[in-house]
Amino acid sequence: MAHLFQVGAGSGGMTVLDIVCRDPRITQVTLIEPDIYKPHNVERHLFPPSGIGASKADLAAVWLKERRPDLRVELFPCDLLDERETAPIEAAAHVCDIGVCAADNEPAKFHFDALMRRNRKPWTLGEVLSGGIGGFVHWFVPGGPCYGCVASFLRRSVKVDMGKPPDYSAPGGPAPETTIPASRASIEIIASLHAQITLQLLTLGADYAPGFTSLLLTLEKVPGIFDEAFRAHRFRIPRAPECLICCDAAAPADLDRALDDALTRLNQS
Amino acid sequence: MNLLDSEAGKRRLLAVEIPILERYNKDRADEFKIKVAREGMDFVLRYRLKPMHNVYELKTILPPGYPTLPPETHVVTPLVQCPHLLDEQLLCMWRQGSTRETSRWDPAKFTCVFAVQAAWRWLACYEIWHATGEWPLPEAT
Repeated sequence: MAHLFQVGAGSGGMTVLDIVCRDPRITQVTLIEPDIYKPHNVERHLFPPSGIGASKADLAAVWLKERRPDLRVELFPCDLLDERETAPIEAAAHVCDIGVCAADNEPAKFHFDALMRRNRKPWTLGEVLSGGIGGFVHWFVPGGPCYGCVASFLRRSVKVDMGKPPDYSAPGGPAPETTIPASRASIEIIASLHAQITLQLLTLGADYAPGFTSLLLTLEKVPGIFDEAFRAHRFRIPRAPECLICCDAAAPADLDRALDDALTRLNQS
Repeated sequence: MNLLDSEAGKRRLLAVEIPILERYNKDRADEFKIKVAREGMDFVLRYRLKPMHNVYELKTILPPGYPTLPPETHVVTPLVQCPHLLDEQLLCMWRQGSTRETSRWDPAKFTCVFAVQAAWRWLACYEIWHATGEWPLPEAT
């Protein structure tokens, strides 16, 4: 019996959820997903066109119940960072067995990482690269590298984007960022890898040792980025002692008072 | 994480940001020390920099999403409109997209003092640009 805690039921997240929840060990799911299913989602999503206009969380619950009527499903149709839902989300994370992050923005990934570390839960993260040229799957366990360690390492070590930089010479703001949607095929491949690693981590727990902490699978040859398609790059990223996200620092009992004192001291120095 | 309202945010301030601000201020002339204040939900640094010939007043805002979101630095002293200067004299100092690959701010390594040092470098470039018409550093990619 295992309780899955997942954020994100987009095109990739829903595929992960579908595959993982077909495993009979999963008996309970907590899903956080704020979005509405829209016409442009249909091309890449498991949900049918008839679902347009409904919340993705509700559609995911129906999808799961049709296949696993015994599954207990708890929905949070809100943003992971929604302060009004902080306490119930924290409580659900506290009792889960494994987390899955299928969020597509950096603040949500960092927030999920902090939530899982606070509650000492293993978790996985999948990322499809712009244009579907490849994707990452990462896994995390308590005491190991955090998302900050991994993101910092990969930002310095791996080039996966050839986007044109904004026009800084034009005052008034940078040019809008351009992202290219991934195909359903590339989303399915990376999401399936994500599900496989999640189920293996659930099975082996602290003994999980696949030889990497982050796996990059290229799906296309892209000059200047990937020399060849269908190549797996395995990264063993250690916990960074100097990481400002997961560094252990002793905290005073009364944080507010300590903060007031520190700010006063700083301004008087 | 809300920097001023959450336990994690307060811990970040006490363990990371304030100690490094104290180190920055140590042995520095009073007029160039960083002062801090809470302004609404933001944590704001106010300070002066003298990269070369001129003294500039600046403010760096740590928004509620900091450190996942980068600080924003504005020059309070009026500047001539130039490259890399956005609305409200916001300094364009690092490329910041929506993904890890398109963002240069690194929450695991950078502190608010890094933003102050980046502002110093930006102002040095500004003075060179003002004198020569050429921005001396390449575009961020």
